[in-house]
Amino acid sequence: MTIKTRESVMEISKTTRKASPFFTVILGLLLVYGLSHFVPATTSNSWTSFVSGPQLAFADEDDEFEDEEFEDEDEEEEGDEGSSEEESASTEGEAGAEGEAAEEEEDLSYLTDIGPAKDHKYEEFTFPWIGNRKGVWLAAQFHILFASFILGCPMFVVIMEVMGARRTQGVRKAIILSNVFLGVLIGVTIGIIGEIIVGVHHGVLYGMWACAFGALAVSFMNYFHKCMEMRSSILVGGVFGAFMAIILTPGGGEHVNWSGYITAVVNGMVGGMLSNMIMFAKADFKFERLAHEITKVIGICYSFTALTGGLFILVMVVAYKDFISYLLQSFPILFMIAYPTLFILETVVMYIYVYSWDPLNKSNKKGRHIVFGVILNVLGLSLLCALDGPATFMQTPPTPLGELTNISEWDRIATATWMPLNYHRLVGNGTFGGYCVGIIAAYMYLWSNTKEEKEYYDWVGYMGNVIGVGIMIPLPAMGYIFVREIYQYDATIGMYIMSDRESMFMLVQGLLVGTMFTASNIYMWVSMKRIEGAQRFFPFMKIGFVLIILAATIWFTPRRFFATMMPEPGMNEAMVLPDNLAFLALMVSKNTAAFALVTITLINYIFYTIATKTGKIHWGKINPLGIYVLIFMGFADIWLLSWMGTIRELSRMNWHVYKVFKDVTPDKFTPALADAGLFVTEIVWGFFIIMTGIIWLGIKYPKMKKTKAEAPAEATPSVAE
Amino acid sequence: MKEKTFVQNIKFKLPIFAVLATCIWIFAGKAGFPIWWQIEFVSFALVGLIVFIILDLPALAPEKKNRDWVVRLLGTYAVGSVLFISITNQLPQFDPQVEIDKLNKPPIKIEGLAGPEVIAAGRVVFEENKCFNCHKVFWEGNSDRGPNLGTKQIGLYSEDYIKKQILDPRYKQSPGYEDPKSKKAMPTYYGEDLDEGQLTALVAYLKTMRDPTNIPVEGKYPDQWTWWDDETILKEGEVVFNGLEPATEGLNCSVCHGKDGIPMMTGALDFRNGENKDTDKIPGDHYEGPLKDWPDELWYKRVTRGVPETPMAPWGTIFPHLYLWKAEAYARTFHDPLDKRTEKRPVPPVPTKEEIERWKTEGLFLDPLL
Repeated sequence: MTIKTRESVMEISKTTRKASPFFTVILGLLLVYGLSHFVPATTSNSWTSFVSGPQLAFADEDDEFEDEEFEDEDEEEEGDEGSSEEESASTEGEAGAEGEAAEEEEDLSYLTDIGPAKDHKYEEFTFPWIGNRKGVWLAAQFHILFASFILGCPMFVVIMEVMGARRTQGVRKAIILSNVFLGVLIGVTIGIIGEIIVGVHHGVLYGMWACAFGALAVSFMNYFHKCMEMRSSILVGGVFGAFMAIILTPGGGEHVNWSGYITAVVNGMVGGMLSNMIMFAKADFKFERLAHEITKVIGICYSFTALTGGLFILVMVVAYKDFISYLLQSFPILFMIAYPTLFILETVVMYIYVYSWDPLNKSNKKGRHIVFGVILNVLGLSLLCALDGPATFMQTPPTPLGELTNISEWDRIATATWMPLNYHRLVGNGTFGGYCVGIIAAYMYLWSNTKEEKEYYDWVGYMGNVIGVGIMIPLPAMGYIFVREIYQYDATIGMYIMSDRESMFMLVQGLLVGTMFTASNIYMWVSMKRIEGAQRFFPFMKIGFVLIILAATIWFTPRRFFATMMPEPGMNEAMVLPDNLAFLALMVSKNTAAFALVTITLINYIFYTIATKTGKIHWGKINPLGIYVLIFMGFADIWLLSWMGTIRELSRMNWHVYKVFKDVTPDKFTPALADAGLFVTEIVWGFFIIMTGIIWLGIKYPKMKKTKAEAPAEATPSVAE
Repeated sequence: MKEKTFVQNIKFKLPIFAVLATCIWIFAGKAGFPIWWQIEFVSFALVGLIVFIILDLPALAPEKKNRDWVVRLLGTYAVGSVLFISITNQLPQFDPQVEIDKLNKPPIKIEGLAGPEVIAAGRVVFEENKCFNCHKVFWEGNSDRGPNLGTKQIGLYSEDYIKKQILDPRYKQSPGYEDPKSKKAMPTYYGEDLDEGQLTALVAYLKTMRDPTNIPVEGKYPDQWTWWDDETILKEGEVVFNGLEPATEGLNCSVCHGKDGIPMMTGALDFRNGENKDTDKIPGDHYEGPLKDWPDELWYKRVTRGVPETPMAPWGTIFPHLYLWKAEAYARTFHDPLDKRTEKRPVPPVPTKEEIERWKTEGLFLDPLL
């Protein structure tokens, strides 16, 4: 530090000497003073060390300085010992010793004494009726449900807004950005599936870069009315996207990663195709209205997210104060700087997005509004990824565990399961958003009195189902990579989930997924009854239903019908599949069943799409059963999301942070299946009651007010023309 | 499309379901599915029936009053809630108290513990580390991801070998588990997770995994084989038989039984003739069948306990039984050469809990700890 200061002074001195030696000296002194007072100390605890990294340039100087300081201290200590041992010390020595002893005896406790509160010992608080764990569980679950809503819905709200916007120049500019955003999401999803099914090395990176750059290139050219044909867009997307992906993705060593290149080409083509479709799609106001109405609900849900988030922290502070303190201290920059910053930014952008909708529409600046939407999503996803850090830290803390306090905060965030959980939540929130749109559509359909409104909300329900089911299709793949990483980190956690106390929890998950796919296909069936000529597909769809039931049966079939790895007292140990039939319970069978479920749903969806293109759709004439199926699917999806969160949290067993921070509270055990099932149902009921109120307040109530306001005007006699 | 009335809807579906459910029940039972799986399959058939009834239900009447949709909406939530609560209620449950009791137990310390207590502690270590997830121990456990440590008789191997295999599972891959998935299946962190005491206890427990009635079994279900048909084992057995195995210095079967199977000593069993009979020098312990039909248990007994008043000593009291089984497997080839065999010897059924109890009560093991 000193050397730098001297060098700086010399540099400045050289330049200023020519002007005036007097000013040079004054300036030099001021700089020496200033630099020595304003350059922050480079200690390991300083936040600047996190930002700027280790300052090697001054290491020698600092070390010397520190060594000198320590040497002095050592000498003083030796001196103390010497003075106490040797009675015949010199007068000067005695005086020095007395002075130091006086210093030692000086009572400095007033600096640290907090007052009478130090003696106050309150009884530990336990939540009435439900206990501490369930108190936290309730608050956390509510928070994550609302958070999923406000993260999931904006993703496709922006796409819907784009689909509904008139293609002005500004909108087309904004579409370039939104296409790239969509390209990232789709590229990541396809890339992961490639990694899992075909084993593509760096599939995610190839997919993401190729799809994003394919979308960017095509959108950019489309903006200038180039490359307008679909085929040429696909070609340009494929070539440019693949080229950029190959450049940006780290190489796999000596081997040429052909599967990666193919993934890149496919993703680039997908990016190009989607960009072209979106850029030249005919604006349909229905999409604009859908996006706007959902946004109104998002606004209210955002407040509930903040409210429940605060509640969650308060509950944690009361119920698990030691642990929450440890967790916050493990991520000081994240919790003190990054998270609040992101949260505030997101809040600001969200309110701008919600409240600038009409003004920007009226001033013909739709493009800017779309850009706000994309920024909102980027901020939301950043928040999601940021908080997944501590969540995965609790489950898979970086090893070796003894080094946890010595590694950087970033290393504590980027755990083995961080990215898999990010992917899983990204897709899971998208699905959640889709089904929530279905619920909103269903409610509004039921609350609508006019034919036009019913037609519109019937269509919204159709869109919600398409989005929910469409995004749910890659969801099992995301879950798979998450659990695979858990197994690789510590198979004990994986076994606890798949084969031990959580095995029946996972069985319930299988049943729920089967139920949702079945319900989704029933919805398509019911919907097709209102499309002319769609009945020609019904015989094939019935075969599909048989296969769905078969696939669900296989997915459900367990290796054993007792709830733990080894039978415990009171369990029937004979309830195990014989070896020759055990293949039904293996992952190969489960994956086949999942693949069958997804494929049949996809085929039925293709039938549905063909029917909508070839036959007349009687919107608003859907069998009301379809509306209740939509609500049921939403209920099942939210229940499933809550259930999977429960499984993930309980998989840490009796640890808050696995093998680092033990849970020693009375609630350290895994609750029984029935107990957990009932509690999750109660939480979902609570969420639905609040959501019903929010939907009414956000969409229905303003409509009623508007209708009431318009009613007298209509009633007044009009002037004869 | 003409809609069906409810009666028309179920008129054919119900009988079809009844027939289908009966067939499923019978076929599942014949195929060996336990009763719970039979119930599961029939339940799913019932789900299928409900789904198909829903598909053909006449359209619901549109809601006219607020009460209509409120009732239906609450009904939908009720269906979902009842369904999910019932599922979580009806599936097998565990008693959380069992886990609480386990968590409240003090950690295992083997200092001061004696033989059976160390073995019991090892069993706890085995369970707590979820070894049962991949390894069966005879009849216990429910997965074939890794070898059945009981039928493989891991207890025949030395303590050092077992310990090394736990700490470095890639050290020697069990025969039949050479596929890439199996090769990386066993975690490599037990060296960090288990302290010395736990490891010692675990090895002590694994050392008890022996079967005095059957020769060790190798391979992954259903491609399994016994040591009788294992070429590698037979080669190793030949080394032991001919007295060339350093670990069994002093044991040389060929001295009496002949290197090429021609007995070198009067009275020694001629392994070349599969029709030869068991010794009648042990009162009350004689097997009537010919040598070629000897059960594994008899081979093991004769070699480990010997024949009194003959040079056939109780080798089991002197040498590791691992090598004795290998020598027996080789001895059999004199009257049943490997290259002439048209089929492998059947893999014996996995010993049951009762059989294992019998081994102990009848004293089939030489070691009192087993």
